Amino acid sequence: MHRRTRLSLRSSIVHDKENEHEEQTTPRKRRSKLPVNVIEDETDEEVVPSPKKSARKSRGRPSLPLPKPIVESEDAEQADTSWQEGSASELVGKLPEREKEYDQLVTFVENVLDKGGSGSLYISGPPGTGKTATLQRILNHGPFVGKLRPVYINCTSIKSVGSIYKKISEALGLKVTGGTEKVYQGAIEAYLQRKHKTVMLVLDEVDQLSSSKQTILYSIFEWPSRATARLILIGIANALDLTDRLLTRLKARCDLKPHVIQFLPYTKQQIVTILKSCLEATDSLARFPEPALALLAAKVASTSGDIRRALFIARRLTEGVKKEDRKNGTTTPTAVTTVSMGQVMAVLNQVYGGAQTLSQDLDEGFPLQQKILICSLMLVLKHGKNKDITVGKLHDVYRSICVKRNLHAVDQTEFINLCSLGKKEPRMHRVYLQWDEEEVSAALNDKQLINSIMDDVSCLGK
Amino acid sequence: QESVATPKRNIQLSNIVEECANGRRVSRVLELTPKKTQPDRAADDEPITPKRRGRPPSIAREQPVVLVDEEPKTPKRRGRPSSAGPSLSTPKSASKMKLIRSGAIKPNIHSRDAPVEDGANDLAIARERLHVSSIPTSLPCREKEFDEIYNFLESKIYDGCGGCMYVSGVPGTGKTATTTAVIRSLQQLSDDEEIPKFDYIEINGMRLTEPRQAYVHIYRQLTGKTLAWEQAYNLLDKRFTTKAPRRVTTVLLVDELDILCNRRQDVVYNLLNWPTLSTAQLIVVTIANTMDLPERLLMGKIASRLGLTRLTFQPYNFKQLQEIVMARLTGTSAFNSDAVQLVARKVAAVSGDARRALDICRRATELADDQSQKTNQEVTVSMVHVQQALAEMIASAKVQTIRSCSLMEQLFLQAVTAEVTRTGIEECNFLGVYAQFEALAAFSGITVPNTGRAMAICARLGASRLLICETGRNDIYQKILLNVSTDDVHYALQASKLL
Repeated sequence: MHRRTRLSLRSSIVHDKENEHEEQTTPRKRRSKLPVNVIEDETDEEVVPSPKKSARKSRGRPSLPLPKPIVESEDAEQADTSWQEGSASELVGKLPEREKEYDQLVTFVENVLDKGGSGSLYISGPPGTGKTATLQRILNHGPFVGKLRPVYINCTSIKSVGSIYKKISEALGLKVTGGTEKVYQGAIEAYLQRKHKTVMLVLDEVDQLSSSKQTILYSIFEWPSRATARLILIGIANALDLTDRLLTRLKARCDLKPHVIQFLPYTKQQIVTILKSCLEATDSLARFPEPALALLAAKVASTSGDIRRALFIARRLTEGVKKEDRKNGTTTPTAVTTVSMGQVMAVLNQVYGGAQTLSQDLDEGFPLQQKILICSLMLVLKHGKNKDITVGKLHDVYRSICVKRNLHAVDQTEFINLCSLGKKEPRMHRVYLQWDEEEVSAALNDKQLINSIMDDVSCLGK
Repeated sequence: QESVATPKRNIQLSNIVEECANGRRVSRVLELTPKKTQPDRAADDEPITPKRRGRPPSIAREQPVVLVDEEPKTPKRRGRPSSAGPSLSTPKSASKMKLIRSGAIKPNIHSRDAPVEDGANDLAIARERLHVSSIPTSLPCREKEFDEIYNFLESKIYDGCGGCMYVSGVPGTGKTATTTAVIRSLQQLSDDEEIPKFDYIEINGMRLTEPRQAYVHIYRQLTGKTLAWEQAYNLLDKRFTTKAPRRVTTVLLVDELDILCNRRQDVVYNLLNWPTLSTAQLIVVTIANTMDLPERLLMGKIASRLGLTRLTFQPYNFKQLQEIVMARLTGTSAFNSDAVQLVARKVAAVSGDARRALDICRRATELADDQSQKTNQEVTVSMVHVQQALAEMIASAKVQTIRSCSLMEQLFLQAVTAEVTRTGIEECNFLGVYAQFEALAAFSGITVPNTGRAMAICARLGASRLLICETGRNDIYQKILLNVSTDDVHYALQASKLL
């Protein structure tokens, strides 16, 4: 990690000019010696091209990962037909409920293009709110195709923070002599100085680039403020205040401060609309009654507003319906079985009902010794004054309880296995209860045992 | 010289070749045929130098001679036959390594000359069947979970889309066995062409030196080539993000998911992000131990991608454990059914781990086998053997250790317990313990060792983990903590003359 001050910035600009001068001489000579073998056949996996070559090969539009297919929520009989048609392309055409943000983005980019300048933008929002999907649409937006040079990079795919420059220069198709981080950075900055098309650099999951001094993030966010940069920089992350928190020094200069767009979690109505449009695309709307959709959307919107979850639950429901279809042997479209409210409730409870499923699970197979352990822990918590309990202390209490009940108490090593702790000093390790007491007593479901132990203050001893 | 006596245990990728690229087969005698281009290389591969061979090992041990032109090696034991002919180290020749990396050479291990003969009595058969590694064709008591995983995978393969599933449960509850059984039956179906074909890949987090090696393993299982992780990742990313007609579905099983989580969590992110792409057709099944791992350990964006298909394997109760053991013992009359029930009840009360129950049963058969060999008559495994095996498995070693301590060590332990009861705090320092130690020694009429000796005693007890003590640098102010309960100490020392 080298620290970039203003002085070094200036010197590096000077250095870049030298680089530029060099680039006109040396690389050409070198290239004349090196025959570049272009491999046409994409599917041939026998030839393993080194990453550099493969990057050089893909000039023009980068192949972008397509967003989550809409097939997610239709029933599978139609799924395999529409999936073959490639419904993802339809999705790029329109995204329901994200039109406002889309228009904002388009106007932003158009403004920048008209001025011929550059701008930076930061997009935030919780996971599953359609940030990446919206940007895919912008990258494939018709009017922009000729004027822009899109570069999409997902920052989780880089080896270390510093290698982002290498990735960017490969995506731009620059020829770089040498291999250090600084050389790549210089090459990119030199490219921005020269005459070029406006570059649209999209950095997905930009919070992966944060380091101790934030040199990388600062240097990247400084690029748009250069005179001839013509760069549109878009960063995507989950945190609302990433630019304020990590990049405080950008506030000092207004031209550096990125424009911020927020993607809010989906509301109930929006989720209903999205699901409906998905189902209409495959004419399976008859399968979902209105109230069932409303219930599903209300539940998802109240917890997270994550569309991935909503699509997932809808898909699960349709799979269940399909299974029933197979059982009944009805494949005619007239007699379709609909998703009932009961099914929706059941799936939602499975997914979101922590305590209920916990108690169901626990009274089935919950080893006796573990029950006693939890009871003794609760006893100590209830009557003991200090709340940090070591394993050794807990074991003593547990032993005395076992002796009173005429049960065979397990040894301390076994006991530590019961607690399933893996610390260096087991006897000194602290134990905490992770749930509520009511929840535990509901889970243990063995009221007699609990009551008898909870009243047993004498076991605490001392 | 050739060694025929002992089977060698070293695994060599290079010397034993199933099929060389040039079609030459190498014989079993491990004659390393040196390449004509590198005769000196082959000589370097000799693990011993001719200079030192004649020298007796004792001299070499007393005066280690460091030669300049070679690194010092420990002298070979005399008993082992010197390997003049076959070399026993993997050759570093570049061409061999290239062949290994490209997957042209398959790894192979020595096989025995003849299979081991085993007396086919009831007990031996039972012992073989009770081994943890022998997975039965159908897993008893896991039908519901089997159906759930089966339905999930089948529908996803049928639709040709991707997805994730998270399976959790405490160790030994049959998670991996069930999942692999599901995949085996699906592969059977796809061979009969009832469902579309699919590739199956598995990685285990504990078998990787670091999380990013996962890419290497996945790529190797797809193509058979070994590459550096960065290259492997780029190729995988290209494979999963580009559209390809006639792409078959890939099922990826990730065992021990929590090991793959590093600070940046990029590996987990990528593994769970690929299924969300429509081009990938990747189905990921992840297995881990904790129920709330996605919420506790993973970032929000990763937990969102993991989805909500969760399945929890509960610990076995005693009826199920009994059924599992009895299912393995069908057809043999080696076991008393009451004995099986006792094992099942004991294990189910503690952890519900099937491996544990099988191990205890196996140990009981071994004990019965010993008895039958002594008395020369058939013995069935009865309650007595099971009790013995349980006592071995769930034995309290601490009491035994205290009883076998020296007199001074026992006295010191007593001093620690006395100090704990005096102060009422669990942690006590050496000074207070030493004062008690002196008093106790005066009672029993023993001369007290000085503090240095007492510290040595304390350090010995700390090394055997009866006490937990700090390093000895704090001398008399070091903290001491009893690692056994005070009752255990009293119980162990009842028999000794000290009390």
